[in-house]
Amino acid sequence: MTNLWLWVSLGLYSLGLLHAILTVITRREKMFRIGLAALSLGIVFHLVALVEDGLAVAHFPITTPAEAASLVGFVLAGAFLFVYWRYQYQSLSVFVFPLVFVLTLTGAVGQGGDATWGSPLLRTAWVYIHVCLIILGYTAFFLTFAAGVMYLIQEHELKSKTPRAFYYRLPPLEVIDDLAYKSLAIGFPFITLGIITGAVWASTVWGPRWPLDPKVALSLVSWFIYLSLLFTRWSAGWRGRKAAYFAIAGFAVILVTWGTNTGMHSFVSP
Amino acid sequence: MNFCLVGLSYKTAPVEVRERLAIPEERLPEALHSVVSLPGIAEAVILSTCNRVEVFARAEFNEANAPLALGDFMASFHGLDYHDIVQYLYHYRQREAIRHIFRVASSLDSMVIGEAQILGQVKDAYARARAAGTLAGVLDEVMTRSFAVAKRVRTETGIASSAVSISYAAVELARKIFGTLEGKHILVIGAGKMSELAAKHLINSGASNILVTNRTPERAEEMAVMLHGRAVPFEKLLEYAAKCDIVISSTGAPGFIIRKPDAQRLLSERRNRPMFFIDIAVPRDIDPAINSLDNIFLYDIDDLQKVVDANLKERLREAQRGEEIAEQELEKLVRRLKTLDVVPTIVELQGHLEQIRMQEMARLQSQFGHLTEQQRAAIDMLTKGMVNKILHAPVSHLKHLAQEPDGLKVVETVRKIFNLKE
Repeated sequence: MTNLWLWVSLGLYSLGLLHAILTVITRREKMFRIGLAALSLGIVFHLVALVEDGLAVAHFPITTPAEAASLVGFVLAGAFLFVYWRYQYQSLSVFVFPLVFVLTLTGAVGQGGDATWGSPLLRTAWVYIHVCLIILGYTAFFLTFAAGVMYLIQEHELKSKTPRAFYYRLPPLEVIDDLAYKSLAIGFPFITLGIITGAVWASTVWGPRWPLDPKVALSLVSWFIYLSLLFTRWSAGWRGRKAAYFAIAGFAVILVTWGTNTGMHSFVSP
Repeated sequence: MNFCLVGLSYKTAPVEVRERLAIPEERLPEALHSVVSLPGIAEAVILSTCNRVEVFARAEFNEANAPLALGDFMASFHGLDYHDIVQYLYHYRQREAIRHIFRVASSLDSMVIGEAQILGQVKDAYARARAAGTLAGVLDEVMTRSFAVAKRVRTETGIASSAVSISYAAVELARKIFGTLEGKHILVIGAGKMSELAAKHLINSGASNILVTNRTPERAEEMAVMLHGRAVPFEKLLEYAAKCDIVISSTGAPGFIIRKPDAQRLLSERRNRPMFFIDIAVPRDIDPAINSLDNIFLYDIDDLQKVVDANLKERLREAQRGEEIAEQELEKLVRRLKTLDVVPTIVELQGHLEQIRMQEMARLQSQFGHLTEQQRAAIDMLTKGMVNKILHAPVSHLKHLAQEPDGLKVVETVRKIFNLKE
C-alpha cells in the first residue's frame, strides 16, 4: 500500500532540502526558519505515516529496506530538532535536511514492497530490538560525523587565519566538539547493545557457531573505531582534528555496512 | 513632503573643515531656532558629530531654495561665507533626504560600517530638536522611523556582528574557539596597552581568573591590580600557562619565550584541551610553529589584522543587505506619507460626503416622483449647507493638526472613521 502521509512529509522535507542547497550555494543562511518549520511539521506527518504503516502490516515497519530508510529519516529529523533545541546552532541543518529528504524519499518510493522477512524465524522480538538499536546508534553516529566535518572546516578556518564565509556561520569549535562527543557517547551504547542483541538472536537460531557475514564483520570494524575514539578521549583527552578524522572514517565504514545486505542480513530468509 | 538635507561628512570634507563647522552641543538650541526661523522652514533637526554635520529640515511648501538657505545658515552660523564651504556640502531633497537619514542612522554611511555609536547620536539630535520645539510634524515621524530602520538593519544583517578592532578580534576568535568565555582562565605575559585592552575585553565577555606575569614583578603586581587578577612569578610561566585557556603575550623579549616543545608539554598536561595564544609582541614571543599543533591556535598581530580586514569585508557584504532594507523601509514610509498627506485627505473627505448627499438626493427623487425646480433647488441648498457645516470643523482641524507632532495619527484616524480607502 502507498501511504499519502509519507508523501506529505516528504514534500515538507523538500523545503528543508531547498534551504540546505541554497545555503551551500550562496554560503549564506537562506530560509532556515521555513526549513525548520517544515521539518517540524513533516516529522508529525511522518509519525502518522509510520503508525499507519505499522497498523497495516501489523508489526513494527522495519522489515523492508524502504521502511528502514524511512524510519532512519524520522529518527534523524527528531535528533536534529533535539540538537537544535539544545545548541541553537543551525549549521547542522545543511547535513541533516538533505539526508532526511533522501531517506524519506527512499522510504516513499520503495513502499509497498513485500515484507521480505518472509521467514517467521526472523520475526522475533530480538530482531526488532536489534534493528531499532542499530538505527538509533547510526543516527547518533551521523551527528558525530557531521560534527567532525564541521570541526575540520572551522578548524581550518581558524588555523589559516583568513576567515571566509564558513568562519562566520559555523558554531565555535568547543560547541562542535561537545556535540561530537555527546552523540558519540550516546550512539556507542546503542550500537553495542544492537550488536549484542544481534549476536544473541543469531545464537538462538544457529547455535554457538553462527556464520560471520560481511555486514557483521564491517559493523565490528566500525564498532572498534568508535570504541578506540571513546577510549582515547577518556584516557588521553584525545580530541580535535584527529578525532574528527576518526569519526569520519567510522561513519564511512558504517555507510558501507549499511549498503552491504548479504548473508543473513540480505532481508530474505536464510 | 518637502524635505531637504544639507550637510558635510568625512566623505566630502577634511577634518579641519568638519571641526570648523561642527555645532557644539550648547549652541544647538540656538542653531535649531535660527533654522526654523528661516523663511519657509517648518521643522529642523541638526546632527553634529565628529564625522558629519547635517541639517535636516522640512519646508512648508516646495521651497526650491531651501538647500541654499540651509547651506547659507551653516556658513553664517560660524561667521563664514557660503561660497567658502559650498565645495564640501552635499544636499538631498525629498525621498533622497529620507534615504540619507535612514542610511546614516543605520550606520551604512559610517566610516566604519556598522559602528554602533551613530544611532545614539541621531537619537540625541532628535531629542534635542524635540526639546527645542523644532520638530512638529512629519519630520518627527521620519526621524523616529529612522530608528526603527536602524534596528532592523542591525538585527537582520550581520553588519555589526564581527569585530573591527584588533583587541575585539581577539575576543571574537576566543569565542569561535571556546564558545563561551565563561570561566575561562587567562594568562597575560608582559605589559602593554594592547594586551591590557584585549584582557579587559575578555574579562567583559565573561572570562575569569586572570593571571599576570612580568620579568619585573612590580609591573606584574601593578597590572594584576588593574585587571583584578593575580601576579605570578615569571620563572613559573609555563607551569601557570598549563592552567590557562588563553595566553596573551607582549613582552620585549628578543627571542621566543614559548617554543614548540613547551607547547607540546602544555597540551599533554592539559589533556589536549584547546589553547588560544595571542602574541602581540614585536619581535614575537611565541614560536609560530606551534600553530601547526592540534588544538593550539596562535594569532600574532598581523593575523589579527587579517581577521579585522576580513571582518570589514564581511560587513561590506552585509551592508548590501542593509541597503535593501533601508530601501524597502523608504518605500513604505514614502507611500504612507503620500496617503496621509492632509490635502488629498480633505479632498477625499469632501468627495465622500458629496457622494452620500447625491445618493440621498437621488433616493428622494425616486420616492417623491417629480419635484418642482424650486423644490429641488431648496433641497439641494439645504443638504449642501449641512455637509459644509459638518465638514467645516474637521477640515480646519485637519489642516491645523497635520502640522503638529502626531498629526499623522490624526489624519489616519479621520480616514479610518470616515472609511476612506488608502
